[in-house]
Amino acid sequence: MLFRKMRRDLLVSKVQFLSIFLMSLLGIFVFTGLDSECSGMRVNEGRFYEETALADLWAQGIAFRESDIGKAEFIPNIEKAELRLKLNGKARLRGEELDLSTLFLDGNEISKLYLTEGEPYVKGESGVWLDFSFMKRQGLKTGDKLSMKVNGIIFEQEIKGAVYHPEYVYFLPDAAAMMPDYGAYGAAFMDIKAFPDKRHVYYNQMVLDVKDVDNTDGLSDEEKNQCSKAALEVKYALGSDSVIVTDKDSDLSYQTFRAEIEQHSSMTFIFPAVFLLIAILGIITTMTRMTSRQRVQIGTLKALGFTKKTITRHYASYGFFLSLFGGITGAVAGHFTIAEYILSMMDTTYLVPGMGTAFSAKSYLAIAFSVLTSSLVSFMSCRKELAPAPAETLRPAAPKNLKHSLIEKSRLWERLDFAVQWNLRDILRNKVRSLMGVIGVLGCAMLMFGAFACLDTVSFITTWMYGELNTSQFQIIMKEGCPYSTTEEYAKRYRGQMVEQSPAEFEAYGKKKTGTVTVYDTGNFLHFQDKDLKPLKPDEESISMSYKMAQTLGVSEGDLVRWHLVGDNDWKILRIGGIYRNPVSQGITMTRKVFESLRFDFVPTTIYTNHTPQEKLQDDTNITGTQSLPEMMKALDAMKEMMYVMVYIMIAAAAVLGVVVLYNLGVLSLVEKNREMATLKVLGFTTAKIRRILQSQNIWLTLVGIALGIPCGMWLINVLFSTMPESMDYVASYQLLSYIYTITGTLLLSMGVNRLLSRKVKTVDMVDALKGQE
Amino acid sequence: MKPFIEFCHVDRKYRMGENDFFALKDVNLEIYEGEMIVILGPSGAGKSTLLNLLGGMDSPTSGSILFNGHDISRFKDDELTAYRAWNVGVVFQFYNLIPTLTAYENVALMKDVRKNVKRGSVWEAENKDMSLLDPKEALISVGLSEHINQFPSQMSGGEQQRTSIARALAKNPRLLLCDEPTGALDTKTGREVLKLLQDMSREKKHTVVMVTHNSFFADIADRVIRVKNGTIESVEINDSPKDASEVSW
Repeated sequence: MLFRKMRRDLLVSKVQFLSIFLMSLLGIFVFTGLDSECSGMRVNEGRFYEETALADLWAQGIAFRESDIGKAEFIPNIEKAELRLKLNGKARLRGEELDLSTLFLDGNEISKLYLTEGEPYVKGESGVWLDFSFMKRQGLKTGDKLSMKVNGIIFEQEIKGAVYHPEYVYFLPDAAAMMPDYGAYGAAFMDIKAFPDKRHVYYNQMVLDVKDVDNTDGLSDEEKNQCSKAALEVKYALGSDSVIVTDKDSDLSYQTFRAEIEQHSSMTFIFPAVFLLIAILGIITTMTRMTSRQRVQIGTLKALGFTKKTITRHYASYGFFLSLFGGITGAVAGHFTIAEYILSMMDTTYLVPGMGTAFSAKSYLAIAFSVLTSSLVSFMSCRKELAPAPAETLRPAAPKNLKHSLIEKSRLWERLDFAVQWNLRDILRNKVRSLMGVIGVLGCAMLMFGAFACLDTVSFITTWMYGELNTSQFQIIMKEGCPYSTTEEYAKRYRGQMVEQSPAEFEAYGKKKTGTVTVYDTGNFLHFQDKDLKPLKPDEESISMSYKMAQTLGVSEGDLVRWHLVGDNDWKILRIGGIYRNPVSQGITMTRKVFESLRFDFVPTTIYTNHTPQEKLQDDTNITGTQSLPEMMKALDAMKEMMYVMVYIMIAAAAVLGVVVLYNLGVLSLVEKNREMATLKVLGFTTAKIRRILQSQNIWLTLVGIALGIPCGMWLINVLFSTMPESMDYVASYQLLSYIYTITGTLLLSMGVNRLLSRKVKTVDMVDALKGQE
Repeated sequence: MKPFIEFCHVDRKYRMGENDFFALKDVNLEIYEGEMIVILGPSGAGKSTLLNLLGGMDSPTSGSILFNGHDISRFKDDELTAYRAWNVGVVFQFYNLIPTLTAYENVALMKDVRKNVKRGSVWEAENKDMSLLDPKEALISVGLSEHINQFPSQMSGGEQQRTSIARALAKNPRLLLCDEPTGALDTKTGREVLKLLQDMSREKKHTVVMVTHNSFFADIADRVIRVKNGTIESVEINDSPKDASEVSW
């Protein structure tokens, strides 16, 4: 019977309970949605890396010999080693040259090919295996012949199959690209025997499998330790200081995917926490009021012989059932909607076969947590009424001992308008209810501002990158090994600025990181900004380091950094003359003069220009390719598209949150103030005046919520960006319009709800409301 | 005959600010099984406190209350709960029905009362029939066969009070406590309710204790206890109690 009582009580106060139900539902909906997606990625990542035995270490050098394998495998920590040659090439299709990362293999034991179509790779056999997306998008089939260009040599191979590769889960065509657009460029895997320059076969990479390091769920501290010990030994065994040995954490593909998972993982908790907090506040206000309204009923139940335990269980069950059903509904809905949807978007960014959602134990725990807290809060809310003897509970509660607040004692109080006094008192005496309103609006404004700031940031990054830091219209990418004189000739012809970008390794305070050295010649296309994004003229006598790299290494301006170029064992020690910011490339930068003073040869890799490159440049053997500004910006579209979806979800969540919380509170306060409003009406207040009093309180609370919500939105965005990969340095940007949209959006929402509620003032019945209280 | 309930030097005081206020002072009282007792007194005399102590809803500050030989004033919280669940039926002035439950459900609620509540020391030695009455039968016995599925808000005051009585009777209690049971009813309905209570005592042998400030009810009681200023003013035995239907006020 008590269960029936609960069911009917829920129906009687359906608005309040529905909002608690919805908040529990939304909290778990978002949590499970993100978690199932995140777990799906995590599970599939682990499975894929484990199945394909992703390498633990990569040694990069100019020329490895086959005998180096023996040296590496002699190290006790090393299980296996394999050599390979990795080069940037071109696929020649329909008269076009598309970027193609080529990997010439000498075995398939480490970082194995994952075959989805065609015949498996056999060592020593000819043929090419292409990445799945490239094959699909370019309409290629097994058995087709593919013409490729590597190191300037054009050659042809038969397509043997479509594959996924664990080192190509995430990859970009070049350093300038910001987002992947798979299929527009690709990866090709061949046996070393297929390398076209038969007389100059060489290896520039060694992949290694370290003992006791597995591929599931990131690197543990122990595994990291094991890897860095092995890396040192490999370096020593290969006897060259120019060899750079890196682990998975420095691998772009691995690290970006992991960072994405971590980023989603961190989001998993932020959003649901807001909803759950509101649900809890909702339970506190609703249950406290309900139990104090049902005080005599509680006394009766006690007098009839119900145990405290039974009564407690009965009241705790309100929160229990609401959060349980809300949680289960939310979990199922979240798993099949949000998770599936986000994962389908991830599918275009990360190339992992068979990515699917996975319902994790965390979702069960989240439901359990939500149910437990809700039940506990329900229990705590009714505890007050349960403590005294039944005889006392059967009597109506003594009126609250009201005290004057500080503001009421001040002189200012007398001068305040009646409406202001009334509202201030109401807020101070219903602190939890007011706090809940503020938190609801805060959450709404936070999500809304976060959503707009996301858009601001993405469009800011685009203009920052391609409008401020790099003001050229075109990039001409030179072929590796192109003589300086030729490059200089092109630069003169196109009035361009020559820039060299080379991979390097940096070391400070015992920490090592790989990154890029950017060397620039005279010209006016490449610009720098300091950490506050103010134009920066880099120190022409020294080097400058990117902000994110300096943070990673723990150095600042004036500190020394040790570094060397990949393939060169000459370590330099230089003082950092300045700190600059760049969204996509982390490392150091210097003028050509400084670079050459360090006895390096300046070998430009790119020319920045505003002159349109000629068509025939595409066929020029000295040039890898050209890219125009619109082409570069197009790559960002995919990212923007994804961001829009996020933004819509965030705004929708903000609206639901705002409406549900404000409406619930409004109804609650109307019910409570019924007598007071009836009294005011009897005294001669007009309905419009009473409405205004009620509305002004809501507006105050909304304004406070917005004022707190905007900084929280900034915090939210910073948390999201802090989980970006190490190579990325996104600066959150907030445009004036975002503030305006957030403030007006939230205010309109609040006023809309107010309007809806204040209609009820008309229906307050003076006679009914002023009848004696039983 | 051995008394069914015995109050020995019972005090109940409340602290009001700096001072102590005695709601009951040195009360000595005996109640016998099957009796119909009316406790009379003006407002604030201590009638309700007496009833609360009898029902195990409150405990005395000093003195002892023996119920069937067991001192319930020494009972702990859970023992008092068991005492209420197994022995006492209460009828309130304002009915105290659960508004979200129908008449039937309000009575059937009693099935839940005894779940997980041990019968307790009071009845352990006895082999009395303590089984619950069927809720429907209880409602029919108070003349509510047509209102079984109605919510309290759909019933008149009299009907609600009958439901309240049916709820108390459903427990098959040996002690039925009524706090101003006709206080919120008109004379005609009040008389019907009184008749019902008298029948419970006469036919079913329930011990009925009724608290009221209405001296006309003294006529229907077996014994009348007058309370004033927290003390027992007098105890009168009524040799020939009137039938409830004959009382008018």
